Amino acid sequence: MASSRDDFIIAIRSAFLKKSTQQKFSLLTLVLVSIFVILLSSFDFRAVRIMKTGINEFVYRSSFVVSIPENFIKNTFINIAEYTTFYNNYKKNKDELDELRSRNISSEITQYENKELKELINDYVSSSDKILAKIIVDRDSPFLKSIIINKGSKDKIKIGTNIYDQSYLVGRVIEVNYKTSRVLLLSDLNSNVPVTIAPQNIQAIITGQGDDFGQIKYIKEGLSDELTEESIVYTSGTGAIFKSGIPIGKLKINEEDMDKKMYVEFYSDFSQLKYVFAEVLSKTEVKNSGNISENDNENKNPIDAKLRILEDEIKIIEDSNAKFKQENERLKSEINNLNNEIFKSQTQITSQRDTIKQFNLDKEELKFLRLNLVHGHKCRKTFLNSKGFIVGTSDYKKCVLNKE
Amino acid sequence: MTNLKNRGLIFKFYSWLPLIILFISVMNEFDFNYLNLKYFSFNFPFILIFFFTLKDFKNFDYILVFLAGLINDTVVGLPLGISSLSYLLICLATSYFRNITIRPNSIKDWFYFLFIISLINSINYSILTLFFSLELILMNYIVNTFFTFLFYIIFVSIFKYYLKVLND
Repeated sequence: MASSRDDFIIAIRSAFLKKSTQQKFSLLTLVLVSIFVILLSSFDFRAVRIMKTGINEFVYRSSFVVSIPENFIKNTFINIAEYTTFYNNYKKNKDELDELRSRNISSEITQYENKELKELINDYVSSSDKILAKIIVDRDSPFLKSIIINKGSKDKIKIGTNIYDQSYLVGRVIEVNYKTSRVLLLSDLNSNVPVTIAPQNIQAIITGQGDDFGQIKYIKEGLSDELTEESIVYTSGTGAIFKSGIPIGKLKINEEDMDKKMYVEFYSDFSQLKYVFAEVLSKTEVKNSGNISENDNENKNPIDAKLRILEDEIKIIEDSNAKFKQENERLKSEINNLNNEIFKSQTQITSQRDTIKQFNLDKEELKFLRLNLVHGHKCRKTFLNSKGFIVGTSDYKKCVLNKE
Repeated sequence: MTNLKNRGLIFKFYSWLPLIILFISVMNEFDFNYLNLKYFSFNFPFILIFFFTLKDFKNFDYILVFLAGLINDTVVGLPLGISSLSYLLICLATSYFRNITIRPNSIKDWFYFLFIISLINSINYSILTLFFSLELILMNYIVNTFFTFLFYIIFVSIFKYYLKVLND
């Protein structure tokens, strides 16, 4: 027993401490260094942060270069898959585009109103620039869902910067380097987003599930019954982590075994991202005129803002009216064209009726001639047939036709 | 292969190939995740490190394995040092296993590999959830372990062929 324990200890000691000729460090040293690095990375020291940023910059770029062949194969695979559904997607997109165009005008009005009202509340204008960023590392790890973009602190990216795919939210920046940043995707388990579900106007939090769906969590009891399939989920802006009103996805309800689970199907496909937009926000204080007293400003600014809203609304309504007028003109000319066509058709119908009438007359005359040959002698007034009629009279014709 | 040994540069490249592949795989996360198969993933570096450290391959320096771990952490976004510790624990396990084994057996190696990666993934999961408060799906780890175990035997046959060519 003692000898087997000794063997075990010798084997362990040898494994830990023995260096073969090629090894520069023993395993024990390196294991201790690893533990030390883990401890360091759990503390947010400035020196560690700078060192980490340097490593990140180098590794991300190297990873991008090394991933080129695999990305080529991956993209080819995705392209082939896309081509198979190309036509169906095109039709679907076309329908969606038509619908969206029709909603555009009302959306513009809302945007103007929203902007002006925010200005009134915050006393500053929050202007945003969306900068295009390329995804340089997209490791769809089964454990963490994140991407690396080629924009960093040099491009005014900060921790928490919202990242978009078109106008859909995909995540936020969690690590910023000089020229690169790491974005935590909404699908990650550690991602929690405060949202509003429309049209019910219910507040909730969605959490990533590690796949293409997010799960609705922390919803007030009883309110979940009001939710319906296909409801729209967008950011509520609570907690000021994400901007409000950014579309995220559509609601999907899964009822299995009396257990109602609600998921959010993200609008954006995170596995297909190539470029994203990073929203760089800058706040500008609303400047008040120096000549006017503060009270006057308080009174005047809201009125000015309201006037500006109304002016904008008028402008939009005028634009809409101009569009409607154009549409009316076009419809009028179309009506005229149609009336002309109707008139032409009616003339054609009349001429066709005349032709038919003539045809009927000819048919009757033919019938009379045929009967006249057979029965003419019976109706003709002769010496022997005093009851007959004179040839050519209408009575004669009637008589012949009645003989049929 | 005598020709290969004569051609110095090509032979050097060939003998360093496992380490080159290790660095490419940690930078590239070679795992076919884009196939979008639910839960499917496997850990190629685990297989590579386990096999070559078990065979005590001369160019497989522990310090390079440690660096590969750091790179993997940076690419995946894990706290620095986690993968290094995992890789070094594999090296430790193989070193111990090599010391106690008199007659090597592939099937024994295979099941020992399953035991080791299960243990290391458990340690990994525990550290990340307990110390770094990360939320992780346990099922992903289990499936990853299972597929890594399955793929081991396939890759081992390729690696054995590689060693045969190198030694000839």
